Amino acid sequence: MFVILVYDVNVKRVAKVLKTCRRYLHWVQNSVLEGDITEANLKKLKVELMKIIDKEEDSIIIYILRTTKYSARQIVGLNKGGENLFI
Amino acid sequence: MSDADIGVGGTLVWYYYICLRQVWLISHQITPDADDGNLILGRFIGETSYNREKKELAIGSSKMDVYHFNNGEMVVGEVKKSSKYNQSARMQLAFYLKELHKRGIQARGELRFPQEKKKEEVILDEDTLAEIERVERDILRLVYLQQPPPPVKNRFCKKCAYSEFCWS
Amino acid sequence: MKKTLYIFTNGQFHRKDNTIYFETEQGEKRFIPVEDTGEIMIFGEVDINKRFLEFLSQKEIILHYFSHYGYYMGSFYPREHLNSGYMILRQAEHYIDENKRLSIARLLVEGAGKNILRVLKYYKARDKKVDNSIVTIETLLGTIATCNDIPSLMAIEGNMREAYYKAFDEIIELPDFIFENRTRRPPKNYLNTLISFGNSLLYTICLGEIYRTHLDPRIGFLHTTNFRRFTLNLDIAEIFKPLIVDRVIFSLLGRKMITTDDFERGSEGILMKDRAKRCFIEQMEEKLKTTIKHREIGRAVSYRRLIRLELYKLEKHLMGEKVYEPFIATW
Repeated sequence: MFVILVYDVNVKRVAKVLKTCRRYLHWVQNSVLEGDITEANLKKLKVELMKIIDKEEDSIIIYILRTTKYSARQIVGLNKGGENLFI
Repeated sequence: MSDADIGVGGTLVWYYYICLRQVWLISHQITPDADDGNLILGRFIGETSYNREKKELAIGSSKMDVYHFNNGEMVVGEVKKSSKYNQSARMQLAFYLKELHKRGIQARGELRFPQEKKKEEVILDEDTLAEIERVERDILRLVYLQQPPPPVKNRFCKKCAYSEFCWS
Repeated sequence: MKKTLYIFTNGQFHRKDNTIYFETEQGEKRFIPVEDTGEIMIFGEVDINKRFLEFLSQKEIILHYFSHYGYYMGSFYPREHLNSGYMILRQAEHYIDENKRLSIARLLVEGAGKNILRVLKYYKARDKKVDNSIVTIETLLGTIATCNDIPSLMAIEGNMREAYYKAFDEIIELPDFIFENRTRRPPKNYLNTLISFGNSLLYTICLGEIYRTHLDPRIGFLHTTNFRRFTLNLDIAEIFKPLIVDRVIFSLLGRKMITTDDFERGSEGILMKDRAKRCFIEQMEEKLKTTIKHREIGRAVSYRRLIRLELYKLEKHLMGEKVYEPFIATW
């Protein structure tokens, strides 16, 4: 499945959240990551994030798309990152 | 729980109640597909849950987690992903209790299912002991077979990391 | 299924924060989700260090590198993480015992031949004049059973390929991409360059799948083991070359996605420009993702996964459980 993850967390924890997400997903732009992910890896990622964030203060949203077939991704302005087969 | 080092250990007792073919394969180090989702998750939960009170205890070829040890009473247990494999989990723990008993340690068993926030107690009584001994003999018989028992479809196949191996 | 990452840019690989990143010569950093990466294929000029390789071992990621010309040069194959003394012994036993080895080699050649026929018959149904090749290959297939040593089996397989390649001009119908002869290292014309590139990719993909089983890639059955090179991946690739590599080539050329402008003449023969390599890889990745319904397993399985299943079947053959039956396409 394909996911888009956005986070809004206290600056004290922001680096840790980014580091964790980067191991599973592709960085797109500030506070946004996306990519194909297995169900198991998504669960792992969520468990790891739960340990970092303060549930009273921080928020992470994960949009889950079973397939990207019916969605489009349009960029206005700079293309900063995202999933790519090639570097 | 590591799959790498196995005699007749708790792991084989566990698999005995799921699939006899799996007992044979594991004992021949033919470990299942490493990128199977359920397997990854199981390993991850075992590694990351209950870390504070976790102490590993190795007896013979078995490894178990120890939770408390006070007033001469020991509580040992295992962390499992779900209670779907209840019988396996109970018998595996009973096997550990028996191993401890052999060494003169009285212990109580506790199964933990962190994802379901559930605990279950296991006690070693006469019947359980007899069953464990029968299973141990049967596992040895299986392990010495020249070939694995043929695959038989059961309710565990669907989520089994060996399913592609068995049914390809 | 973990992903394959292809590097065409020059730069450096680093390990950081429990993951890896690639830094281009311009200093741009790209983080790579290590938990979702299975293989890295390097085509550009890339610097790596030991810390990085150690981390790849820990994460069980294989690295393959290719020369400037796109030829496969080698792999960083981390220490085996799946070890079964039992399986290694069975595999060696089936190599050493001449008859056991021959019976696996026969099945491999038969599987390769039948898949070649499948491709040819598909084009015959589309009015391509490939009858001669079909007849030759069918005759050759009939001689496999009576073939009693590896060299003559290799000869049959060579003759089958020759007859098959003769049909390529008929299928492709592009004067710029005529087949002539099979030439390797260096390939002497455009079509041969494409075949070599595709085959190298498939070899590395098969190697990656072997890494995730208990088989030893150094012990092949059809291709003679010399204990230096990987050979089992070459064996398994034979089954899939016609279904994956050749069909990708036909579609790339048929849809004019690669033309003569995509090649350069170098001192070492003809080489594909990066754009063509990327285009080939994209199509190949698409093909590997395509699924077919697998009756026994009861769900759709991708071509990439079919390679793994082939290895499982081979393991069961080695265990004496079930005679190996090569995958034959039925579309």
